[in-house]
Amino acid sequence: MYWEFWIGGAALMAVAMGHWLLVGRLMAVSGRFTALVNSLRFDTEPEPEMSQEQLLEAMRAATREQFGDASIDDDAEDAQDAEDQPAPSPVVAGSRKQPQSTLTHALFLACLVVGGMLAAVSNGGVQPAYVLHSSVFPQVFGSDPLTSAVVLLAGGVLIGFGTRMSAGCTSGHGLCGVSRFQPGSLAATAAFFGAGIVVSLLLGGML
Amino acid sequence: MRDLLGTMVVGLGFGFALSRIGFSSWDEVHRMFTFADLRLLLTFVVGVVGLGVGWQLVQRTVSEPLKWPDRAIHPGTLTGGALFGAGWAITGACPSIALVQLGEGQLMAMWTLVGIFVGNYVYSLAHERYFRWDLGSCIDD
Repeated sequence: MYWEFWIGGAALMAVAMGHWLLVGRLMAVSGRFTALVNSLRFDTEPEPEMSQEQLLEAMRAATREQFGDASIDDDAEDAQDAEDQPAPSPVVAGSRKQPQSTLTHALFLACLVVGGMLAAVSNGGVQPAYVLHSSVFPQVFGSDPLTSAVVLLAGGVLIGFGTRMSAGCTSGHGLCGVSRFQPGSLAATAAFFGAGIVVSLLLGGML
Repeated sequence: MRDLLGTMVVGLGFGFALSRIGFSSWDEVHRMFTFADLRLLLTFVVGVVGLGVGWQLVQRTVSEPLKWPDRAIHPGTLTGGALFGAGWAITGACPSIALVQLGEGQLMAMWTLVGIFVGNYVYSLAHERYFRWDLGSCIDD
């Protein structure tokens, strides 16, 4: 049936470390949701950022306009520039610390769906149905599909609002943050496990 | 390209593992939160402890210090965490899980997914309008 806890724990560890090794950053799934939402919000093209050189050139032009050519000693400045700033290395330019693209975020989320599908296929097949696989949920909330949908929608809003508010979810705070003893992650994880326990006990009391 | 492939491999593996562990089952999550079955809780603990050891090993093998995002406490940490925990208990899902449930054929989870996007969006509006505290670098690791 389900994996033993030590197999499951080892799998979670492997996935989180694999994420760091292969993707080059720590796993944080709610951050990907946030990135997607932001990309939908800011649908207009962001203004192209000025490079350092363009900025300097613009400032020089403005200075010239104001004070005349003599006020700028271009050569001296350029010589200093060349000394102070080595050419940007291609490694830094192509650094994997740059934010991933919207497409990559969407791809990761899509792969979670396919991963779940593969697990179900290799375990007796998938029969997509407009249900939630649970025997307790209908006992608590009834079996009316409309009620279930409203409950799930409301709960989903809590998840989305809460994870963005605390800047992380079970992967970013729970797995990758707690294992690095990050104070924010320890607090957030305590909060979401605590609230989960309280609400689940309340729901159980409604049976 | 390597970024894309790595992202796909990890996403597939994570989705598969979450399903096999049983994190995508509403009943299993309910049993975890009510301490009726400690398996999921132990799974999580083993994962966290294993990662703690793993990061230490990584730190020792890599020559340069790793620049990982700090996750500091800010005014939304506890409230946000608690709201998320309540949503998790109600829907049986954390953000990844809603997607895994869909893949397993639990199509009702589409409402959880829609809710997550709506909630995330609503928070971004509320943050700009009312909260405005510094969220640190955690939002996009």
